[in-house]
Amino acid sequence: METATHQSEEDILIQGLKSGNEADFQKAVRLYTPGMMAVGRYYLDNASAEETVQDCWVSVIDAIQNFEGRSGLKTWLHRIVANRAKNHLRKNKREVSADFSEALEPELANRFHPNGRWATPPSLRFDEDAESLMENGALSDCLDQHLTRLPETQRSALMLYEAHQHKSDDVCNILDVSASNLRVLLHRARQKIFLMVETFQETGEC
Amino acid sequence: MLMCRDLARIASDYIDDELGTAQKLSVKMHLMMCRHCRSFIGNLRASTDLVQAHSSGKPDPELVRRIDEQVAQALDAKKTDDFT
Repeated sequence: METATHQSEEDILIQGLKSGNEADFQKAVRLYTPGMMAVGRYYLDNASAEETVQDCWVSVIDAIQNFEGRSGLKTWLHRIVANRAKNHLRKNKREVSADFSEALEPELANRFHPNGRWATPPSLRFDEDAESLMENGALSDCLDQHLTRLPETQRSALMLYEAHQHKSDDVCNILDVSASNLRVLLHRARQKIFLMVETFQETGEC
Repeated sequence: MLMCRDLARIASDYIDDELGTAQKLSVKMHLMMCRHCRSFIGNLRASTDLVQAHSSGKPDPELVRRIDEQVAQALDAKKTDDFT
């Protein structure tokens, strides 16, 4: 039922965009720009990503006429950004560099005995659910800081998969990574967030 | 036998249900015996939920202003083109 309502809201928005309604563009810009920036930042520096996302929105004015709804609007927009960002990289003869070699964060890897058992096990259970944890403003600020500090590749993968709720296949397609490399990016990013929450719970400091 | 460090390596795959049947079973067996790994999986899952619950990010207001402006100009230009 929720999906049906969501679908129809998206359909109405798409109709508005097709008819060139400025208010619908403003609404879509606010709704989809964060995800589009997450895609852009995977490939490009911040200034180039902003420029690419801006250009994408202008191109959407015409391109939306050919949108047939084979994917959702979000996925369609994210693919446009990815294609433009990849072109930008090619023109500048640059490549995305990411480390896919090790699944464990060094800080976590150091917490095991040579025999593979925990030497410094997780000390606390994060018992509260995520919503109530987020009500802690200091933790929310700390999470912001740590998300900002993540390597771009890990942050984009994490944001697209968790915050923007893309399926793995879509993230692989948009970010041009293999399924196994996406698993590494996600796992490394999650471990960093885990370590951050653990420190925050233990010390109250970010 | 699956050790704690091996489990930590594949913990996200377990959370996302991306493991094969045999590997999933060995993780479950390990979790039954190891409270530290139960804590780790629970906390890693909570961290993941936290990122989901954290807003998907508010766009930079300055970027939004620039996009609004450019889109408005492009829409105006298009209307003028269509009219002429």
